[in-house]
Amino acid sequence: MRLELPGIVKLMYRNVMVNVDPGTLIILIGLPAMYLVFFGFGFGAMIPTPGGTAAYLTFLTPGIMSVQCLMAGTVGGSMLWADRRWGMLAQLLVGPFTRLQYLLGIMFTSLVFGLAGAFVMLIGAFLIIGSLQITLWGVLTAFGVIALGSIFFGSLMLLIAGVVKSNNAYNSIQILILFVVNFASTVFYSFSSGLPLPIQILFEVNPLTYVANAARGGFEGALPADAAWQLPLLLAETIVVLALATRVYVKSDVSFV
Amino acid sequence: MSGNGAEQVIAVENLKHTYDGKHFALDGVTFGVSKGEVFGLLGKNGAGKTTLIKALTTLIVPSSGKLSVLGMDPLHQGQDIRRRIGVVQQGESFDFATVEGNFNIYGVLWGVPRKVRMQRREELLKSFGLLEVRKQRAFDLSGGQKRRVQVAREMMHDMDILFLDEPTTGLDVIMRRQLLDSVRERARRGLTVVFTTHNLEEADYVCDRVAVVDEGRFLAMDTVENLKRLYRGKKTVEVTLAGGDASAFYDSLRTKLAGSEVKADGNSAVILTDDPKEALQRIIELSQTTGIQMDWLNIRKNTLEDVFIGSVTKTEEE
Repeated sequence: MRLELPGIVKLMYRNVMVNVDPGTLIILIGLPAMYLVFFGFGFGAMIPTPGGTAAYLTFLTPGIMSVQCLMAGTVGGSMLWADRRWGMLAQLLVGPFTRLQYLLGIMFTSLVFGLAGAFVMLIGAFLIIGSLQITLWGVLTAFGVIALGSIFFGSLMLLIAGVVKSNNAYNSIQILILFVVNFASTVFYSFSSGLPLPIQILFEVNPLTYVANAARGGFEGALPADAAWQLPLLLAETIVVLALATRVYVKSDVSFV
Repeated sequence: MSGNGAEQVIAVENLKHTYDGKHFALDGVTFGVSKGEVFGLLGKNGAGKTTLIKALTTLIVPSSGKLSVLGMDPLHQGQDIRRRIGVVQQGESFDFATVEGNFNIYGVLWGVPRKVRMQRREELLKSFGLLEVRKQRAFDLSGGQKRRVQVAREMMHDMDILFLDEPTTGLDVIMRRQLLDSVRERARRGLTVVFTTHNLEEADYVCDRVAVVDEGRFLAMDTVENLKRLYRGKKTVEVTLAGGDASAFYDSLRTKLAGSEVKADGNSAVILTDDPKEALQRIIELSQTTGIQMDWLNIRKNTLEDVFIGSVTKTEEE
């Protein structure tokens, strides 16, 4: 008797095979890597941090690893968009898969991309800085919270891709989200009470802030006090967004021309 | 319903579907398809063919009616049905990969064992004339090549029913004939095929039975031979006017040929009649009295196209 791969695994294989192209890799790995290098050395030289550039790079590394969950989420949304645009969504849905399997296939592919990207960033940071002090618990914490963030942002982008009907609108929304979520978070700098109130609120409600704080806490050996409410909130938001994305997607009509 | 004693693999009864709650894309369709049969759906754009295929392939839930595919209920056993069918969509559907990459990925998705996958891929690349483009990205191919990839890729997996939605669009004459022969050959080995097309000649060539679809209803359904037999004794007169008021000309002709069907399209018309001699006489008389010259006048035997035009015209007149 021959063992057959589960449907979700087959779909994940297909998603990885189709999306491992230079364009996707540049978005997924190249952009955060450039953040690490340019912001690391640029801000490292500008911001007076005890320990200089190396200390800022150490601060930045878990932040940049966290960015991977956002990047992976956008790749997930783009997968759904491309499948709809190029007819593969309908083709797969008249194949041996359910809509839920298709959705979870994209979600888990986002998760794999997010974790793989974070690992590449970790190696990159190690090569740049020369040494990184991190425990196994710290690594597990960072990757665990990045996994959760990948599912959140993957669901969010799938929800948007399921609702928005225009390619231009989807791309614009994606760019806006990338910009706001990246820079109104604690990825590049710490939260400061000196910020204008609207920006403070953006920082506080931004799920990437929760991911970056917890990942950084993992690196530093102890989760910050805020993680006690930020992580449960992130989990709850993830469940809600995932449920919404599933509902929108399962109910949607599939173009079949 | 399918008209013979073979096992019925598709059974549809009074199927209706509406997208907006007002207009019916399917309006009470009833039919059956037997195992190993090639069943054709003929109809103009928007007739309801693709909606019917969507319903049969579980992509939409019909508004009402009964539907059974391979003895299963699409509403509750959709995935079990989909494991046993193949679908070639009317539009493009490719992964962002090379031609052989598309074949490989599709084989994996369908759980085809590696050895079989490789062997089948090579056979299909060869038989569909795709060996030279196997390393090219599917999106970069010409229209006909893309169509070949799409049809061939579907043959990567085993199935009981194959749905082909206008599969020959963009194919050259030789490739079209090869595809139709391949469909017939697979049907002989037990594959059931549901085939939609605008091309009546290929429906005539490949289908055991055809249904003429218009505005979500089946206007006629039978074997190709029986449908033609309905029009046995009738002949088709074709006429093309050189100029003048064609509309008034054909209106007069309709009055003079009360028992015939006159289908006019601009300067040309097709007349389905029991008495072609009389039709010719009336056309010539009318040409002489109106002074309108003719570019073309011809009598020929009826074809499936005439059955199609006849069915659709009758409905429009009703």
